[in-house]
Amino acid sequence: MTDTKSIFVIIPCYNEGSVIRQTVEEVLAKGYRVVIVDDCSRDNSRKQLSGLPLYYLRHRVNLGQGAALQTGIDFSKKKGAKYFVTFDADGQHDCNDIAGMVEFLEQENADIVFGSRFLPGAKTNVSRSRSVALNLGRYINYFFSGILLSDSFNGLRLFSRQAVEKIKITENRMAHPVEILMLTAANKIKYAEYPVAIHYSDYSKGKGLKNKDGIKILFEIFLHKIFR
Amino acid sequence: MNINIIQIVLTVCITLIAIYMYMRLRSGLFDIILIGLFFVGGIFFTFFPETTNAIAHFVGVSKGANLLLYSAILFLFFLILKLYSRLRKIEEKFTELVRNKSLEEAEEMKEKD
Repeated sequence: MTDTKSIFVIIPCYNEGSVIRQTVEEVLAKGYRVVIVDDCSRDNSRKQLSGLPLYYLRHRVNLGQGAALQTGIDFSKKKGAKYFVTFDADGQHDCNDIAGMVEFLEQENADIVFGSRFLPGAKTNVSRSRSVALNLGRYINYFFSGILLSDSFNGLRLFSRQAVEKIKITENRMAHPVEILMLTAANKIKYAEYPVAIHYSDYSKGKGLKNKDGIKILFEIFLHKIFR
Repeated sequence: MNINIIQIVLTVCITLIAIYMYMRLRSGLFDIILIGLFFVGGIFFTFFPETTNAIAHFVGVSKGANLLLYSAILFLFFLILKLYSRLRKIEEKFTELVRNKSLEEAEEMKEKD
């Protein structure tokens, strides 16, 4: 059994004041270390977290989710983390899945485990239109990275130390999921997929990626391909 | 020799641009030669536009004006790409700056009972 203190859960947050405390409390209850990367929130997120044992980092300027994740990864590396979990602040993930992902990573001898809401055994209430968009997204990601996942834009991922040594996210905004896949392929990192629950609330539907953001992501990947 | 209005406008513009460029980057001999070529070339083609046709014919384009349009589009496209890549580099440095600052200022919050 892995020591839960060596598992760092990185939660980027941007104006998530109304839900952040509940999300963090659930993760802390499991005994994991929590790293909050506040991407220059304008709300009371910081105050909401007071009294909770966690690491709090704040970007002085809003940079985007990809940048916040990389900041959290850099920090966790310095703190000697063994496992790095990326976790959304809006409460759509279930922290009960983390233990299973760690076990699965060790069992598969992989360095990255991607959470998937579409594998058998995953509980999700994803809407039909979102489902279609995500399905299209996974083929687009496949086209750019050569990796076909069952769930292309799931925020719950687990990285080993070896993986984060090779992956550095430079896509600050929405294209970072694709960039992670491209880097996984380029560095021949062994990955696996694990069924995880996604619970969409009215709140989380309002936040996060919208279907129309697909165009923006495409444009960012296009630029990424040209300039790298 | 007939002088058209467009020739006057172009002459004024080219002269002003040349003066502006000279004031901005008068640093080296190279710059002065470059600005000089731009100025002399610009004025020359303004008053002898037929010569551009000869160049256009030489590369297989029917009219000098068309050749100018094609090369301008290519040049602008190149410029946009350059600007984008510069922008991305700046963003990268900026990200690094903000990130390092946040790592320095990271706080370890403690449990309160």
